[in-house]
Amino acid sequence: MNLTEEQIERYSRHILLQDIGGPGQEKILNAKVLIIGAGGLGAPIALYLAAAGVGHIGIIDGDVVDLSNLQRQVIHFTPDLGKAKVESAKEKMQAINPDVKVTTYKDLIMASNARDMIKDYDFIVDGTDNFATKFLINDACVLEGKPYSHGGILRFDGQTFTHIPGEGCYRCIFDGPPPKDLIPTCSQAGVLGAIAGILGTIQAAEVLKFITGAGDLLTNRLMIFDAKKMKFREAKFKKRDNCPVCGVNPTVTELEDIEQAACDLKDA
Amino acid sequence: MKFYESAPTLEAEQDLFEIDIKEFVAGNIDPTKFKAIRVAHGVYEQRQEETYMLRIRCAAGGITPEQLRKVAELGAKYGSGEVHFTTRQEVQIHNLLIDGVMPAIRGLNDVSLSSKGGGGNTIRNILTSPTSGIEENEVFDVDPYAVALTTRLINEDDSWNLPRKFKIAMSNGPSDTAFTQATCLGYVAKIQDGEKGFAVYCAGGMGARPMVGNLLFDFIPASRAYHVARALKTMFDKHGNRRSKNSNRIKFLWRKLKREEFVGYFEEEYNKIKADDSLDLVLPDMPNQANTSIKLVSESGSGNDYDVWKKRYVIAQKQAGLYSIKLPLRLGDLLEKDAQVLCDFLQEIGENTIRCDRAQNMRLRNIPEAYLGNAYKVIMGLEDTLVTYAPFVGNMINCTGAQTCKLGICLPRGLTQALRERFDNSTLNLDRLDDFRLNMSGCPNTCGMHHIAHLGFFGKIGRKDGDMYPAYNILVGARVGEEASDNVTQYGEKIGEIPSHYVPDFVHDFLQNYIEEMDEYTDYYAYLDDQGKDFINSWLEANKEVPSVTVDDKVYTDFGAKKRLSLEDMGTAECSAGMFDMINVDRKFVADITAELPESADKATSLYKLLFHATRMLLVTRGLDAKNETQAMELFAKHFVIGGLVDEKFGDVVTLGKLGMKEALPAHEAIIVELGATVTELYKSMDDSLRFKVKAKEEAGSLEKDFRGVACPMNFVKTKLTLDTMESGQQLQIKLDDGEAIQNVPGSVKLEGHSILKQEQDADGHWTLVIKKK
Repeated sequence: MNLTEEQIERYSRHILLQDIGGPGQEKILNAKVLIIGAGGLGAPIALYLAAAGVGHIGIIDGDVVDLSNLQRQVIHFTPDLGKAKVESAKEKMQAINPDVKVTTYKDLIMASNARDMIKDYDFIVDGTDNFATKFLINDACVLEGKPYSHGGILRFDGQTFTHIPGEGCYRCIFDGPPPKDLIPTCSQAGVLGAIAGILGTIQAAEVLKFITGAGDLLTNRLMIFDAKKMKFREAKFKKRDNCPVCGVNPTVTELEDIEQAACDLKDA
Repeated sequence: MKFYESAPTLEAEQDLFEIDIKEFVAGNIDPTKFKAIRVAHGVYEQRQEETYMLRIRCAAGGITPEQLRKVAELGAKYGSGEVHFTTRQEVQIHNLLIDGVMPAIRGLNDVSLSSKGGGGNTIRNILTSPTSGIEENEVFDVDPYAVALTTRLINEDDSWNLPRKFKIAMSNGPSDTAFTQATCLGYVAKIQDGEKGFAVYCAGGMGARPMVGNLLFDFIPASRAYHVARALKTMFDKHGNRRSKNSNRIKFLWRKLKREEFVGYFEEEYNKIKADDSLDLVLPDMPNQANTSIKLVSESGSGNDYDVWKKRYVIAQKQAGLYSIKLPLRLGDLLEKDAQVLCDFLQEIGENTIRCDRAQNMRLRNIPEAYLGNAYKVIMGLEDTLVTYAPFVGNMINCTGAQTCKLGICLPRGLTQALRERFDNSTLNLDRLDDFRLNMSGCPNTCGMHHIAHLGFFGKIGRKDGDMYPAYNILVGARVGEEASDNVTQYGEKIGEIPSHYVPDFVHDFLQNYIEEMDEYTDYYAYLDDQGKDFINSWLEANKEVPSVTVDDKVYTDFGAKKRLSLEDMGTAECSAGMFDMINVDRKFVADITAELPESADKATSLYKLLFHATRMLLVTRGLDAKNETQAMELFAKHFVIGGLVDEKFGDVVTLGKLGMKEALPAHEAIIVELGATVTELYKSMDDSLRFKVKAKEEAGSLEKDFRGVACPMNFVKTKLTLDTMESGQQLQIKLDDGEAIQNVPGSVKLEGHSILKQEQDADGHWTLVIKKK
């Protein structure tokens, strides 16, 4: 693949980076990434990955744009109210970079479709905000042998890690979802809009690092930040032999939908 | 009366220029950038830094007495006080400080003069035959065309940023006294079937690589004069080479495209406008006449001196009762007080009374017979003219040379003085040489018009035992206009070279021979072919010895120079032609010693000399000048062996030489001879700007890329992308702009772990970088 003059100029700031260069940019242009959720996290992830030139981006979300989304879901604009989130997102992604092919799924990710949906992508990004779906995505990626970026935000806090096949997964940290109603969802607890940007861009950076091989990924490290104190810390973890999904004798061998509060279905 | 109308935007442009000057003085504008801005305003820096020269447009060489007076006053107020008349029929004021530039330029506005387009890549002063409009047998007066064409072109925005300078000349007849085949665009007045028009020549030019202009039209109606200029300008703008300063004149475009393609592009533009009568020039009324009421009291001249003067310098015009007067200036300079006196007189006579000619002299015109005595008195009262000499002396042309010009090697002004002194001490009848053209330039550029001289000189560097002395190449036999049988101009041929200090005796002896023999021949050319050239060759042969500097160091210091010739005083980029001369000295030694080596009685010494000349030959291309053998070898080892321009295997013999171990050299004879051959090959591979075309240690798979004109950081982005396609160890040669590019790219390349093998600036300021991939 040879970069066109326009591409050379568009991606010059990537090419200038010693760890990316022309070959790294070509990898980006050839990459296929699925973003699950076109909400608070999905917005910066989708915009940055499109701007970076990720060749094929899938984006899945079953919702339409609601007025309460606009406080943090920066990919949607006021005139988009009522529009399918995936369509609204696609328009912005293609406006920022016509090089990018965007496939939209106006759908919810469920046990029944998750593995099918992810199997054609190189990397999956979790931009959801409910535990049930996060475990579903983790399980699907482990079972399919896909790398993915986990991300979650609430109030002033966020957390993320990057799973690579063979390394620690979400269930290595947490066996399973907390009981229903134990943890407030963001619609009950609120969220500072800007932290969606902080966490989403960390996830986008992880995706680009994974594609190009640059630097060290957040594998086996859960990064947690508290925006009130503006402190970042790391909790190291390991792949567990007794992990329910990636352990020696897994109990989770196929996907299962987990019951959850109705409002949890909404994206962060 | 005006000789052109400046654009209405001129004063606004001057306001911007004034801001640029302030920014430059405050250090906010880079001198290189400022140079580009100021030369387009006719402001040149002189050899002495921070002093400036202002060149003022005089279309058709014309200036009114009122205008000349103002120029002289501005020169006195802000500069060194004399008006300089150039070989391009303009006037200049010299030695301005930066603070004086703007007031001088604004002062010119008062009398409708402008310095814009005095330099830079612009439409330059339009020249005409200095006798146009008054000459008895002319075809017709071309001055009104030059004036109207000037006004039209200097009012067009696209006249100021052309690929290179654009020079136009117009002759009033086939004798071609405006030298139309030695300029970018030339018009020769012609009548065809009763219609006024022009033969048009284009793409001529002198300079270091002279070319004779080509006939573009045998005849165009006079009304199409502008259309042709417009079309050529547009075509040049579109197709001219803006990248290389050294080969971007129109003449080079012609050479590159050849006639068919060049004319094709020209016609593309010309056909679009040739039928548009609305573009016709509006010719100004420029009557050659004197004022009807002149308040001066007529003075009659008399006596032998008056008669001699009249015979030498006064010519009857085609207008009955009116006369033209040649006023020969010493070195083209008119003192301010002399200008005042002269203008007092001329203002009484009329507005249309002055032309500048190409011999740096003034031509007065439209002087009624009754006032010739007054003119004589005024002229004889001027302090500094050559009016008491035969016209030949005043007709000698010299460029300003190294005194003020940054490019000069020699000082033709000093030589002209020396020649005059030589003539003073001789009995030569110089009146027999009225039309003889003796032209001198201080370097291979052609400000002194040596190519069209009957006897021409241009400066070069001579060398004796490694010491440099000022010297000249000698050219003879150029033919212009009707001197050439088919009216095709022929430039002079180089016949030899001569130390500057021998020139006065040489010129004297040659002219003496010519004057003695001239009656035997139909013309100068017949004389030259039959015996003139032989005379020159035998004279040079008899005087070929140059005393070494320890015997007589006078030869090593040019006429009018304060110290011995040295490289340091020359502009870095422009002295390249002089460098070739220096290289040739060593090249000849290398060849001669190599040839004589088998018979050499003292091999050790011969090889040592060979090693010395081989190592010194190309040092000058790196701006290096070795004082002695040891230093030459040291510098060569560093810049050529370690620098990778020649193979490492030569390192050992160079080291032996450096250590003075002559006795060890015969054991390495073959490799020393090979070194001589290698540097000679390297020299042959260089182009005119002293760049090496081949890289000595090129590895397979090397690449060349040209990133000139690519801004930061895209130049580095593209460099990286190219390196990505290459294998480890391969070499990439890139060209970069000066400034930000060269300041940033090499560092970035190194940061990525690659090595820089070579980084050097070429004559036109660009950089070449050779990178070895990690």
